[in-house]
Formats: sequence, C-alpha cells, structure tokens
Amino acid sequence: MASVLFEIPGMHSGRLFGLFLEVLIVVLALYYMTREKPPYIRRVAALDAIEEAIGRSTEMGKPVFFSYGIASRGFDLRTLIGISLLSHVARVCARNETQLIVPTGGSEGSYIVRPTVEETVKTAYTLEGKPELFDPDNIPFFSGQQYAYVGGYIGAMQRNPPGAVIACSHASEHMNIAETANAMGALTIMAPSSTGKTAVLATASDYLIFPEEAGAGAAYLSKEPSELASIRVQDILKWMAIALMIIGVIAATSGSDLINRLVST
Amino acid sequence: MSMFFKRKDIQLTIVVLTFLVVFIPYFFNIPALDAFSKKLITIASLVNGFTLALAIHSQFRRASNQWRRKSRGYYWGAYMLICLIMMILFGIIGQESAPWHWVMFAVINPLSSVNYCILAFYLSGSAARAFRARSIQAFMLLAAGSIVLLYQAPLTGAVFPVIDPIALYLTNTFAVSVSRTIYLGLATASIVLGVRMLTGREVSFLGFAREE
Repeated sequence: MASVLFEIPGMHSGRLFGLFLEVLIVVLALYYMTREKPPYIRRVAALDAIEEAIGRSTEMGKPVFFSYGIASRGFDLRTLIGISLLSHVARVCARNETQLIVPTGGSEGSYIVRPTVEETVKTAYTLEGKPELFDPDNIPFFSGQQYAYVGGYIGAMQRNPPGAVIACSHASEHMNIAETANAMGALTIMAPSSTGKTAVLATASDYLIFPEEAGAGAAYLSKEPSELASIRVQDILKWMAIALMIIGVIAATSGSDLINRLVST
Repeated sequence: MSMFFKRKDIQLTIVVLTFLVVFIPYFFNIPALDAFSKKLITIASLVNGFTLALAIHSQFRRASNQWRRKSRGYYWGAYMLICLIMMILFGIIGQESAPWHWVMFAVINPLSSVNYCILAFYLSGSAARAFRARSIQAFMLLAAGSIVLLYQAPLTGAVFPVIDPIALYLTNTFAVSVSRTIYLGLATASIVLGVRMLTGREVSFLGFAREE
C-alpha cells in the first residue's frame, strides 16, 4: 500500500478517502431522492423481465418460484438484496393472483432469515388487498443443510412445474436450480452473487441480473422517482471510478504515484 | 412492550444508532466508542445464537400446524423435526460421539456429495447449450471458452504450447478486469442500498413493506 498524502489527527490512517466517498454517496443519494424530477435510468433487461415472467406464469396457470439464497451468514448483503426483490415479486404475484412459492433453508443462518421472509410475503399480500391468498405452506422450509435443501427445491419444481424461477444470491446450488428450471420449461432469471457464478449462470438462464443491478432491483422495479435515484447514484459513482482509473493509469505511466497515494489516504 | 419494538420507526432508530456505533469508530479513533462497538458486535453474535433457538421453535410450530391441518407434505415436516431433535440430542452427547459421526459421515456427507456431483452434469449440459456460435459475441465466447478449457486439460501444454500464454492472458487480464468491474458495481450498490435502508426507503429486511 502506498504512503498516505496526509493524515488528520483523531482519524485512523488510510481511511479518509473511503470516508469521503461514503459521505459523497450519501449526499448524492439524498439529493437525488429529494428531487421531484425522475432521473434518467438505463434499462435493465433482466429486471424488466421479472414482470414478464410473472405475467407468463399467470397466463400459464403455473407458480412462480422465488428464492433469496441460502442465507449462510444470516442477514448479509446478498440475503438483503434477495429479500428486497422478493418484496416486489410478492406484490406483483398477489396482484395477478399467481401462486408464489418461496423455498427457504439451506444453512443454519436460514433459520433466522425465514420468519422475516414470511412476514415480507404476508405484508405484500396484505398491501395488495388479498391477505386471504397468503398461504404459509407456499414458503416451505426444506432443510438447514445445503444439498438437502436443493433436493427439496428441485423436487418441489418437478411436482409443481413453475412458469418462472427467480433465484438470487445462491451458492453452488444455483446451477442445480437453474438447470432444473430450464428442463421444466420455466423462464429463468438468475441473480448470482459473485463473478464466478455470473459466467456459469449466463449459460443456464434466460436472463441474468448482475450483482450491482440486483442491489438496485427493488428500486428499479418500484418505478418511483425517489427510489430510482439510488440507481442514478450508482451510475455516477461508476463513471467517477472509471475516470479515477484512467487518471491513475496515466499518472502511473508518467511515473507519478499521486492517485495511488490519494486513494490510500 | 413487544408492540412498541415492532413499530417501524423504533426499529429504524435502532438500525441507525447501531450503524453509527459501528461506523464512526471504523474511521475515527475514539477508544471508548471502539470498545462499545466491539462489545455490540459480540452482543449481536450472541443474540443471533438465541434467534436460532427461536427459529427452531418456529419450525416446531410450523410443522405442528401443518400436521394439524394435514396440508400437503405434512409428514415431511414431522420427518424434519425428528431429524432435528435427533441431531440436537447427538450434538448434546458430543460431536466426537459415535452417533454424531455416523450421521455426519455416513449419511449427510455422502448424500451431499452425490448432490454436488450432479453439478458436473448440469455444467456440461448448460455449456453445451451455450457453446453455439450464433453471433459474433457467441463465437468469441466459444473461442475463449475452448482455449481456457484446453488449457485446463492435461497434456495441452505439451501438445499445443501456444495455448498457454493465450489462456493465461484471457484469465489474468480479461477475467480479472471484468470481475473487478463487477465488484466495483457491487460495492457501490451495497452502499446505496445501505443509504436506502438507513433512510427507511428499503424496509423489507425488517419484514415491512415501503407503504407501511
């Protein structure tokens, strides 16, 4: 790690730039969230396909399978992303009166996450004015063991063929789910949580939600200007990162370590 | 009292306070807050342990409801509970004991391994489907995939030595740059998701919906 440009008394060394970035993100996010004019957002095909997938299932009279991963570390980022997407999917399913099956389990952490998931789905049905359609049996808990859960998940898909399968943030079992869904003729939308799985799942799914898109998925699908702001901020930050990288490459090539020291500050 | 803690504003306040207690000492050198932050993380781990007990209780309640209603697959719920009780008992006896070892090494591990092995067939099947040059992009994927696959295969280096540097270039340059781009996007997405959670715009993780 390069030496820092300067230090501020009372602050840990090498964390100033990180703090600056986080404050910048918060300020930008709050600014765009309070603006009334909806920001320009690029289209994300995989997220647009979610409504299409649910619509397809409705027309076919088949259920939608949605899973948020095995939550191996309880409420970590990946699980939270899955739950935020589930909240939207559950509402659309409730609106269309489509059966939504949310297989749960797969790890010890999943025991903790499950009650929140049940509450999320129940709330979605209530908000759509159809609480009577909520059935806790549609949120089966298969097992606290990863591959016993996969066995249960695949079995459920084979007994009750889905019209669409939306699976987020799974571990190695993601491929089992995607391929079985494919074999069952379901429309598959997969949201992998790592780069390795992104490449593998691209070959097995109809649509792929990239990790960064999944994080903003719920905001994108809600179509509310204040929610779309978070995606706008992500895009701005990415452009900033690209600019910083280009400047860094030029600086490093010309023998200066200024950018390296700046980001290490 | 429980209703008080079930309120969205109360839960959000706790989330924000907890965030500040953990966030501030990461950047600023405040020994007292740092010690409190570490203690809070330990408390959170302990609470997590207790929530596991609550979760097992909720599983018992769910399975008994299923049994009472005789809903579809109710007997599997009972089966799962029996296994759960069995594993708890074996765990209490000791993880070095014979019953625990038998369940882990003669039942769970072989069954899990069988399921894991199926992945190889799934991967081959999906790769075969994807490896069709129907467009320029697909052709490039096919070419890159074939080179990397050949590189991974034994004896390739001896028969086609030219493949090694190309495959290494693809994996060390293209693959690394793409994965870093994805990590960058994921990092920004997670911070923005955090802002939405702290401002109460994303409350599904608390079991609420936005309109509530």
